[in-house]
Amino acid sequence: MSTPAQRAVRQSSGCPAPGGRACFYADLPLTDYRRALELQRRLVAARNTGVLDRDVVLMLEHPAVFTLGRRGGRRNLTVSPALLAARRIAVVHVERGGDITYHGPGQLVGYPILSLRSPRLAVTDYVSALEEVMIRTAADFGVHARRDARNRGIWVGNAKLGSIGIAIRRGISFHGFAFNVNLALEPFSWINPCGLQGIGVTSLAKERRRPVTMADARRAAKKHVTEILGLLPAATDLETLEALSARHSAAGSFSMAPDCPRTTDHAPRA
Amino acid sequence: MKELSELKFADDVRYAEDHEWAKLEGDTVTVGISDYAQDQLGDIVFVELPQVGDSFAKGDEFGTVESVKAVSELYMPVGGEIVAINEALEDSPESVNNAPYTDGWMIKVNPSNPADYDSLMDREAYLEKLKGQEE
Repeated sequence: MSTPAQRAVRQSSGCPAPGGRACFYADLPLTDYRRALELQRRLVAARNTGVLDRDVVLMLEHPAVFTLGRRGGRRNLTVSPALLAARRIAVVHVERGGDITYHGPGQLVGYPILSLRSPRLAVTDYVSALEEVMIRTAADFGVHARRDARNRGIWVGNAKLGSIGIAIRRGISFHGFAFNVNLALEPFSWINPCGLQGIGVTSLAKERRRPVTMADARRAAKKHVTEILGLLPAATDLETLEALSARHSAAGSFSMAPDCPRTTDHAPRA
Repeated sequence: MKELSELKFADDVRYAEDHEWAKLEGDTVTVGISDYAQDQLGDIVFVELPQVGDSFAKGDEFGTVESVKAVSELYMPVGGEIVAINEALEDSPESVNNAPYTDGWMIKVNPSNPADYDSLMDREAYLEKLKGQEE
């Protein structure tokens, strides 16, 4: 049996090489949101100019932070700035789709820096594929999660277990998914997650009624993300990726298309 | 996602690498995204457009479309000044899905360099490119 997402990925991949396309895979420790964001943007630029010749998957956790998608407004943040300041929780506005969300330790975040062009993957199929990664990871721990066609992400009953928000720049997707493994859920009560009212948020540990280690969750997610996206992972780390993308940005062509002439006065697009 | 044979490709427009179309009418170039692009994106829920009077170079980002939790950037197929935007898309972004070459138009540009338009692909070249991606 194959799922719609899997079939879609397989069909659109044409004839994938045995074992899939080579990718860099970085299992990162707790990483500051802005640092990871900057790395993603640089990797996208490096992928676009060809400095980086393969997809990259970042798997990590963030210290507590709220992020707002492109159209997200602070109206869905229901606590005062003073409370957030007291708890040292930043609010960051980013280019991904979706509204407001929370990231914190115990939530597994996946950022595939993925070309949707080479496997000719439609955006809709890619979102389904990310949902499938989370559904199968949850299933590995005995938790049955499902899709909701109207509200993307994955759900257990009326509670959200995993969220999706991506951005696409010249055929390269970045940002990704956030999967609640065993994090403190209280900060979600300070927002209307994804701009929705009257929904709950849950975690793998809560649904399973037993603790889950992040190491186990990471292992399961790695298997599914590489399988579903057809990737053959080669392990790397944050420093290596930062060095690789810094070499690129030093060339001064941050957001340019591969066929554009290089200039040195082109300012990075935030 | 549809097969290429099921998609429409207008023959009175030119196409850019990033799947925008451009149509030259008198002194202005109207811009939208191709049927292929809207099919790839899925249901579009929001279109973010620039302001009239803004100027961009060919290849610059002029706006975004948001579909199923995904924000995709849009790029200028020709450089120039924005002389009109399709304000109807604010209330009915689905026009981009339903009528990508007509009601779903996005911006009108006063081009700064006529050569930009000439460098774009015609229908045949664009179809060849898309077929190449499928192999």
